Amino acid sequence: MDERIVIQDCGDSAVIVTAVEGDAERRWEVVHALATAIEEYDAVPTYDSLLVEFDCATTDHEAVRDIVRAAADRLPSAPVQRASRRFVVPVVYGGEHGPDLPLVAEQLGLTEREVVERHSGTPLTVRCLGAPAGAPMMDGPPFPKPVPRLASPRTNVPPGSVAVAGRQAVISPMPSPGGWPLLGRTPLRVLDLDRLAPYRPGDRFQFVPIEPDQWDDHAGTLAAEHG
Amino acid sequence: MPAPWRPNMADTLTIEQSGNATVQDLGRSGAARHGLPVNGALDQYSARVANVLCGNDEHAPLVEITALDFAATPSADVLVAVTGAPADLTVGGVRHPRWEPVAVRRGETIRVTGIHRGLRVYLAVYGSVQAETLLGSCAPDTILGFGRSLRPGDDLALATHCPSIDHPVFRHPLFRMRPPVPRFGEPWTIDVTDGPELAEFGESAHRLVAENFTVTPRSNHIGLRLQGTVPQRVAHGEVLSRGVPVGAVEVPAGDELLVLHRGRGVTAGYPVLAVVTTASLSSLGQTRPGDTIRFRRRTVAEAVATHRAERTTIRALEGRVAAVFESLRLPVHTGRCARDRRRTASDRH
Repeated sequence: MDERIVIQDCGDSAVIVTAVEGDAERRWEVVHALATAIEEYDAVPTYDSLLVEFDCATTDHEAVRDIVRAAADRLPSAPVQRASRRFVVPVVYGGEHGPDLPLVAEQLGLTEREVVERHSGTPLTVRCLGAPAGAPMMDGPPFPKPVPRLASPRTNVPPGSVAVAGRQAVISPMPSPGGWPLLGRTPLRVLDLDRLAPYRPGDRFQFVPIEPDQWDDHAGTLAAEHG
Repeated sequence: MPAPWRPNMADTLTIEQSGNATVQDLGRSGAARHGLPVNGALDQYSARVANVLCGNDEHAPLVEITALDFAATPSADVLVAVTGAPADLTVGGVRHPRWEPVAVRRGETIRVTGIHRGLRVYLAVYGSVQAETLLGSCAPDTILGFGRSLRPGDDLALATHCPSIDHPVFRHPLFRMRPPVPRFGEPWTIDVTDGPELAEFGESAHRLVAENFTVTPRSNHIGLRLQGTVPQRVAHGEVLSRGVPVGAVEVPAGDELLVLHRGRGVTAGYPVLAVVTTASLSSLGQTRPGDTIRFRRRTVAEAVATHRAERTTIRALEGRVAAVFESLRLPVHTGRCARDRRRTASDRH
């Protein structure tokens, strides 16, 4: 079943595996199932790809390719039903918390209200944990076209910022630099040192617009519904 | 691990002048699955050698000193080793060799000054220092806010009491371990292998190895930003975020190179033009703003061979250190971290 995946060298200590079979959902399932199957390696599964890191002093690319291919051969051909939890995320859109909302609306040919409605209209699925700091990276909202990254990245994006780029959406858990347009910000603490990411790939985030003066009422810690 | 020598009176290393220093190790392996960067010593070779020279596990916590002068004083006799960029090392005011174990008597101040032709110096202490860990590593993560810079007055607890070294033989330059010392300073030659998206840069890709690049001041442990005549992407379209390795060379805005280092976010959405070799990442971690870098294209097989040769060198050094320490009845602690790195009570997770 080698046709499911393509494996490329990515430096002397990593390979990048790309799933090429089926639709986006299937490719995502494949790379995450592979990441689980090769637990002895450092792995970064995302949307349709999986970075596998290793110590080339003790193994090599060919051995890792063989292990990944063998794991791919063992994957079930039908999707595995995963438990998906729902997180409700209050967001103050626009203004100081979402300074790029007007820009994104203009780029998409939508009103600001329409951008907010689409971003909060349906739950967004977490596809992977990524930069910065294990941020939940989600499928983007149903926008008519991809959202360009900012020409000049910000040096400091506040924690809780809700951003979009391309056909992806994210919440920045920690203060960090970033080049994604900011639509808003949640008062929730997404993660901290004593509690790393509470979410996992496959979970869904429902964004809910709130008013700026409701910020304090919604302060707290991000948690799944029903515990 | 045997019971501590003096359970209620841990020996300490007191920081007198902190400059810009942190407690480091080789990084947080396994963190990528949590979406967290590996972090750890930016010059892994120098960090490994410093620990090995002290008979420590190469993964043991040690002090990473960046650019500025540093001084610390132990509360008991200890053995230390200083590696990394060229600098002046004095103990109690007397100059001592770097890249060798050095006996320090209690109360004598260890000073590292005048760091040049490189940026980072590593100070390892026999038995290592104690440090809080996150996912098995003490490496600071500046984005998460884990770990912090050392401050004057900080006491680092030493993990092991060093057997008495108050013997005339230790007061002479005793050790000749002779680890290979890398070349520091300009011109830096940084080896790269082809990146998976090399083709997206068309003809301009060769500029990477044909041109000189200059390290800008906006460079840090997350990534180095380099100025020069950069390759231009000819392909179009947004790239879906995916995992990127430490060492990835990208051209995010089209006017400068971004070379990711150990603090890099694990995902990015830019094509990867090239990947710096593991061996050259140590050199890259030593470059200073304003330094000139020249990239050199290598095959993956050549890069792997270089990395393996470096590890073999370190294993051989471990053997020499173990033989010498044994003859001096100094227990070595090699291999201890492999056990300790499994979750310990002190880990936050």
